[in-house]
Amino acid sequence: MPVPGFEHLPGTVLSEGTFTITPQEASDLERALEASPSMDGGAHPIWAYIATQRGIGVSVAELCALADFDVRDGPMLGSVEIEYDQPLQAGVPYRVTGEVVDLERKVGRRAGTFDLLTYRLAMSAPGDVAVASCTNTFVLPRREAS
Amino acid sequence: MTPVAGAILGPWTIESVSAEHMRTLATILDDPNPIHLDPAAVREMGLGDRVINQGPANLAYVMSMLTECVPGASIARLQARFNANVFGGDRVDAGAEVLAVHESESGRSLDCAIWLDVAGRGRALEGAATLRIAGGQD
Repeated sequence: MPVPGFEHLPGTVLSEGTFTITPQEASDLERALEASPSMDGGAHPIWAYIATQRGIGVSVAELCALADFDVRDGPMLGSVEIEYDQPLQAGVPYRVTGEVVDLERKVGRRAGTFDLLTYRLAMSAPGDVAVASCTNTFVLPRREAS
Repeated sequence: MTPVAGAILGPWTIESVSAEHMRTLATILDDPNPIHLDPAAVREMGLGDRVINQGPANLAYVMSMLTECVPGASIARLQARFNANVFGGDRVDAGAEVLAVHESESGRSLDCAIWLDVAGRGRALEGAATLRIAGGQD
């Protein structure tokens, strides 16, 4: 069900930004993930999540604040959906845009009351070439409402 | 050779999830949450007594499994739900089952169920992915 007082939130456009994957970070990430090194200059596909999350012009704390949720109360990443149009590359200045998709309230027998904040971020290469999009859902525990 | 429907991909295994790697990932993800860095913070939140791996890292293990088990494949679409935490020192196994193979002029695509299992504790992540293989010739 919609969250009372936040019916306006879906459709809210987030401040856009840019993000460039550096070769050093691409290499550091592969090591930290114990992944095989890329042989063709491509970046690991998880960069679609990282680049959009870091590149959008709002932090996770600011996203949570849109739903009147304090990031110190422990938002949890609940689900992710990613679509790829192009392989990701280091050194490309990607443009990142986004919007809030939904804020939904749920009540679980064990989890109590929580909200699901869903937002979509998209990254594009110069020339407005679509590269990838991520639809992320954070679980926001609402202990005060339980 | 392209896997056929019913084929199991993986397991792609990390024997012991590294707390040191979580520090690197915290920097790259720009995620200062102390549950990834300090066991005391995890204890304080009542979540256990070992540092907790970043969710995107768990997803990345599955992505590595998909692209390393099917040479020449790239991920077209992936959706995943996070069911449980992965802790420092856990052994994790990423796997997939090929549900369908589609042929087209531009190549093949594979629809897969995907998962990440934690040894002794069950499924930490599950979902679905579509891989594309340009050309698609065996």
